[in-house]
Amino acid sequence: MNLKLNKKIFNILIIFFLGIQLFIYIYNQKPLNENFSQKKITVENFSSIVLSKSGINKIGSEKLNKIDENNIYLQGNSYLENQDYKIYGKNISINLSEEISNSDDPVEVINSMGTLRGKGFKNLDYDGKIIFKGEVEFVINK
Amino acid sequence: MLSINKYLFFFIFLIVFSNVNSESFVKAGDSLIWDSENKSYTALGDVEFKNDKFIAFSDKMLAYYKEEKNEEIFTKIELFNNVIIKFKDEIFKGDYAIYTREDNIIKLTGNVSIESPSRLLTGNELIADIDNNKRILNSANKDTLVEVLLENNAND
Repeated sequence: MNLKLNKKIFNILIIFFLGIQLFIYIYNQKPLNENFSQKKITVENFSSIVLSKSGINKIGSEKLNKIDENNIYLQGNSYLENQDYKIYGKNISINLSEEISNSDDPVEVINSMGTLRGKGFKNLDYDGKIIFKGEVEFVINK
Repeated sequence: MLSINKYLFFFIFLIVFSNVNSESFVKAGDSLIWDSENKSYTALGDVEFKNDKFIAFSDKMLAYYKEEKNEEIFTKIELFNNVIIKFKDEIFKGDYAIYTREDNIIKLTGNVSIESPSRLLTGNELIADIDNNKRILNSANKDTLVEVLLENNAND
């Protein structure tokens, strides 16, 4: 009698532990799926149109790296263009939600006044300001 | 044939040389801010500005522009600290200067001097009327007013 009862308890315990293991297995799988969906996306030789408060911007690069929902990184030779200017540079970071782009690499900007060359830039698109860092030369059209 | 080539080369050289010399530019040592909302450029650190009239140096420059026929044109230029403006054979110096394109007048204030090959004058305020070739130098003492009509203009 006791032996039968022990076997039943033993079987119940085995089923219980198997259930726990199954739960742990399923629980561990979920984060893996989430991580997979957040992986960086990289596109080579691309150009695209981005709609911002200041108007339509055209962007292009040798390589686009999507960091997250709000941040992209234009790797290698890249450009930003809108109705007021064309910015040609390298390795440009763009924050889409804050409408800020910047680069620490040499940049050339062409607008209706002339051509500007700087050591880097920070474009506060929402504020209509572009800050050129370091030595800057702005050659004005005739 | 060789002489034609020489003339052609000389002609091209003249065109290139005249274009290089007439180039307008802004140079800044530290930074330049383009503010399209307020239609201005702010240059900081060893600023150099050149247009078809003069070349200017200062620590800071604030230039305002307007849009005309899809082009941006400077209308007013303010220069701050250690201002030096070279116009033909004259050198103007001051703590602050403002140039307005509309009337082609440069106004300098604070420790002002005007230097030319024949004279050096100092004062508190200088108004240089480029179109009329006229200079008005005021000293800190309001009773003193010096007006200089340049000799070149007097002969015209």
